[in-house]
Amino acid sequence: MPFKHNPQVFSSSIGETVLGTGEKALTLGGENVWSLYSFDGAVKNPPAVGIEFSDQGPDRSLPGVAAAYEGAETLAELAKKAEQVPGVQFVAFRLAGSDPNGDNESVADSVAKVKEVADAISLPLVVTGSNNIDKDAELLPKVAEALQGKNALLLNAKEENYKGIAVAAVTAYGQKVSGESAVDINLAKQLNVLFSQLGIKNENLVENLGQGVVGYGFEYIISTVERVKLAALTQNDAALQIPVISPISTEAWTVKESLATEEEIPEWGSREERGIGLEVSTAVASIAAGSNAVILMHPASVATVSKLIAELV
Amino acid sequence: MKKLFDRVFDGADEMFALAQKALDETIAELGENAPVSMPNTAYHLANHLTYFKRQIMSLKDLRAAFEEDKTWNIHEPDLGSVFKTGYATFAAAEVIEACKYAKSDDPYNGEYHGHLSDAEVRELGVPLVTNDIPGFVVIHGKAPTDEEALELIKGYQARGIFVFLLGEVIAQARRLNMNMGFPVRVVAVGPDVWQVAHIISFVNRAAMIFGAVQPGERWDFDDYTFWRIHAFVNAFDPVSDLVVSCGAGAIAMGFPVITDDPKDMWPVPKSIIIQPDTKDFIETSLEARDIKLKITKVDIPVSYSSAFEGEIVRRDATRIDFDGSRFDSLEWVRMREIHEIEDHAIEIIGPDVEDFEEGERVGLGIVAEVAGKNMLTDFEPVIERNFHNFINCAEGIMHTGQRDLIRIRISKDAFNAGFRLRHIGEIVYAKIKSEYEALIDKCQVKIYTKSEDLKELRTEINKVFDTRDARLASMTDETVDVFYNCILCQSFSPAHVCIVTPERLGLCGAVSWLDAKAMNQLDPNGACQVVTKERVVDEHVGIWEDVNENVAAQSHGNLQQVTLYSIMVDPMTSCGCFECICGIETYSNGVVIVNREHTGITPLGMSFSEMASMTGGGVQTPGFMGHGKHFIASKKFMRAEGGPARIVWMPKALKELVAPKLNATAKELYGIDNYVDMIGDETITDDPEVLMNHLSEKGHPVLSMEPLF
Repeated sequence: MPFKHNPQVFSSSIGETVLGTGEKALTLGGENVWSLYSFDGAVKNPPAVGIEFSDQGPDRSLPGVAAAYEGAETLAELAKKAEQVPGVQFVAFRLAGSDPNGDNESVADSVAKVKEVADAISLPLVVTGSNNIDKDAELLPKVAEALQGKNALLLNAKEENYKGIAVAAVTAYGQKVSGESAVDINLAKQLNVLFSQLGIKNENLVENLGQGVVGYGFEYIISTVERVKLAALTQNDAALQIPVISPISTEAWTVKESLATEEEIPEWGSREERGIGLEVSTAVASIAAGSNAVILMHPASVATVSKLIAELV
Repeated sequence: MKKLFDRVFDGADEMFALAQKALDETIAELGENAPVSMPNTAYHLANHLTYFKRQIMSLKDLRAAFEEDKTWNIHEPDLGSVFKTGYATFAAAEVIEACKYAKSDDPYNGEYHGHLSDAEVRELGVPLVTNDIPGFVVIHGKAPTDEEALELIKGYQARGIFVFLLGEVIAQARRLNMNMGFPVRVVAVGPDVWQVAHIISFVNRAAMIFGAVQPGERWDFDDYTFWRIHAFVNAFDPVSDLVVSCGAGAIAMGFPVITDDPKDMWPVPKSIIIQPDTKDFIETSLEARDIKLKITKVDIPVSYSSAFEGEIVRRDATRIDFDGSRFDSLEWVRMREIHEIEDHAIEIIGPDVEDFEEGERVGLGIVAEVAGKNMLTDFEPVIERNFHNFINCAEGIMHTGQRDLIRIRISKDAFNAGFRLRHIGEIVYAKIKSEYEALIDKCQVKIYTKSEDLKELRTEINKVFDTRDARLASMTDETVDVFYNCILCQSFSPAHVCIVTPERLGLCGAVSWLDAKAMNQLDPNGACQVVTKERVVDEHVGIWEDVNENVAAQSHGNLQQVTLYSIMVDPMTSCGCFECICGIETYSNGVVIVNREHTGITPLGMSFSEMASMTGGGVQTPGFMGHGKHFIASKKFMRAEGGPARIVWMPKALKELVAPKLNATAKELYGIDNYVDMIGDETITDDPEVLMNHLSEKGHPVLSMEPLF
C-alpha cells in the first residue's frame, strides 16, 4: 500500500512575539503545525537557542565554558563572548546576585549590571531576576526602565507579582514579559488571562510553563507543554497561543548528575559531558513537545541543539 | 442660589480670561515663533493633544489651539456642554501654564513641582494601574487649621493614597514641616487652581501610555479614567466658581469632588459630596470613589501563621476558656447596609479577659458586621465557616466548632504577651477584609461577653440559622439560573471537571454551590466558573447542552457529555479526592456506597481504595462514581436510575451521618419510613448473598425496581 501523506496543518496558530531590535531581532512562535513537523507545513519560526550566563561569571571549571569565555572579565566582555558562541540567537542574563537569600545586591547595582550587558550586545536580551517574588517585583520594573528601547524579555512574572512587572515591562517601558507558572495548563492559562486583563496583548508575551530536567519528573513538564500546544492549535484557545520558552540551563546544571565531581563518582565519567548530555536531551525533548525557545549554558549544548534544529526544520 | 451650571460657566470664563491675558503677554514678550514645550515629555501639551490632537510646538500653535479651546466653552444648559466646558477649562489652564514654561524650563524654581515628567508618569502609573497605590487625591484650598491639613495629608499617606496639593494647603503643610516630594507620595503641584493642568496632563498621559488610548478619542479617555484611575478631589471651603469649573472636568473624568463648602453647592451622588466635617473627608472620599485598601498585616501581639493552626491549648495553660458547650456562645457574620458600618471599628461589649479569673469558663459572642456591593446574605455562612482558620492561626489561641457551638481558649502565654479580646476582633477584621476583598467593603466587629447579651443574641442567631437552613433546603437545581464548575483538582487530574449544583456539591465535599459562587466572585478567573444551563436536553436525568459544552472545553476535549443525575450513562468523573464512592451491586441491582474513612471490605468484594482505583483520574466509568457525603440524601442522587432507593449498603458510620436527611428524602420520594434501617452495613454483612436476604427481610424497595442493565 502506498504511503499517503495527510499533512496536519491547523487553522489556528501560535502568536508571534518579537524580541530585540534591528537586524538581530528574533521572532518566536507563529507555527501552525506540530513542533518540528516541517513535513506537514512550513515551520514559520524555528525554535530559538539562547545562551545564559550569570552575574557571578561563567563556571570556568568546565573546560568548554572556560574556552568560550577566555580573556573576558567584565560583564560587557562576557556578554560579547556569549553572543559570539556559534548557534546563539539570544543572550540570557541572570541576576543571581540579587537574590535576597544570597548576596542580596541592591536594585541599583543589579540594574547597572543589566545595562552593561545590554549595551555590549546586539542580540536580543532575556533577563532572569532573583527568583524571589518580592525582590523581582521591585527589581524587574527597574530593569525594564533601564532597558528602554532594547525590547528585552523579562522572565519570572508569577501570579503573585505579575501586575507590577508586566505593566512596567510592557506598558510603561516597551519590553516583553514571560509569565511563569507551575506545570499546570490551567495556571498557565489563568496567568495569561490576567495579563490580558491588564491590557497586555499576546504579542508582548512569552510563557514559561515551569521547567525541570530529564529524569526529574520531566514527563510531567512535557505533557503540560503538549497539552498547552494542543489546546492552542486544535481548540483555538487564544489564551494559550503564546510562544513557550524553556529555561533549561539552571535546571540541567544544578542536579546531582551534573554537580558531582569526577573524584566523588569516578564511574560516571566527565562532569562536563554529563552536564551537556542532560542539557541537550532536556532541550531536545522540550522542543519536540513544542517549546519555541530554549536557554542553555554550555557552548557545546548550544552547538548541538542549534544544529539539530537547522537540520530538521 | 446660583445654579451649578452657571457657576461652571462663570468659572470657565474666568479661566479663559486669565489664559487670554497670559497668552497675549507672552506673545508680546517672546514673539509668536518662540517655542513652547513642557520639559521631559513626548506628549507636547498633553491636554491639548488629548482633546484636540494638537501637537503644539510654538506660541503661534498655542494661539491657534486656544481659539479651538474656546469652541468647547459652550454655555448650554445640558450636562454634555457642562462637561465639555470643564475640559475646556483644563485646556485654558494648560495655556496659562504653557506660557510660564515658554519663558523658563523651571518657572517655579523648585518651590512647586509644576509639570510632571513622562518618567514620573511611568513611575507612578505602574502602581496606580496595578492598584499598589489605591488611588490619588487632589487637595485644593485652605484647611480650617494647619494641623488639620497635616492630619488629612498624613491620613492619605498612611493609606497609600498619592497626594497632589494645590493652593494654600501647601503653605499650611510647610508651616508644620511636612516632608513633601515625589518619593514620599505628596507633591506640592502649585499655588493656584490652574496648575491643575499638570495633574490632568499626568492623567491623560497615563491613559495614552498604559491604556493605549489614542489622542482625540474623548470617550476612550473618559472610560479609561473612570475605570482605571481612582482619583478624587478634596476642595476646602471656600470653593470658587473657578474651582467649580475645574470640578466639572474632574467629574466628567469620573473623579468625585468632596467639599465642606455648602454655599451654592449642589450635591450630586457619587460626584459632588458635601461633607461638613473635614475630619471625615478620607472615609467619605474613599467610599465615593470605591477605593478599597489592602490589609497586609494582622495587628496582634502574638505570631500569626498557619503553623499554629493545629495548636492545642491545654487546660492548665489556659488563661480563659470560652466554652460554647456550657455557656451561650456564637460567631456570626452579619450583612448590613454600608452606612451602618464604621470600617475597622472593634467594640468589646462586656468584661475583657483580665476581668475574669484565671482558667474561668465563660461564654463569648463574635459578631462581624460586613457590607459590600457584591456581598450577599448567602455568603454569610461561607465566610463564617472560615472563622475557625482565621482565629486558630494565632499563636496560643485555640478555636473549635462553629455557629453557636464554639470553644475558644486563650493561653496564659498569649495573655501575658498582651492578647486581649480586641485582638480577636483585629484578626477577624483583617482576614475578612483581605480574603474577601472582592465582596466586603467595610467590616466592624463586636465582641460580647455578658451572659444576658449572649442569651439574647443566641436566640436571634438561631432564627438566622433556621432561615439559612430553610434557604439551603429550598435551593434546588431547578431554582437557580446557573451552575458552577470546579477545576481545582486539574493540577493532578487534568481531565476532571466537577459540575457543582445546589443539590450536588463537589465530590470532595468541600465545595458547595454557594462556595463555588463565592469563589467565582472572589476570583473570576479562578477555579470556579459559571456554567449556564439554558439549553435543556433532559432535565430529569440531568443533561444540558451548555453543561456538556463547558465540560468539553474545561476538560480540554477529554469529556464530551455528562449526565448529572446518573451513574450508568456518562456519569460525572472523579479526580481522586472524593468523600464517597458508589458502585453497582449486581445481585440486588442496587448500589453500595463507601466512604473514605471505611477501611473494610464491601459486598462488592472491594475496599474503598480498590474502588477508588477504578473511579478516579477524570475518566467516566459507568457503574462507579465519586461523590460527596451530602449528595447521598439528595433527591438528585441517581435520579436517572430511580434515586436513593437504589442504595443497598453503606458503612454504619456513614449511615448514621446521613440518616436524618436520607430518611426524610425517602419518605418524600417513596413514602417509606426509616428507610436507612433497610440498608445493609458491615455489622450486618459484607457478603452479597447475605445482604440479599437482609434486603428481602426488610422489604427494600430496590427489589421491585427495574434491572440496572
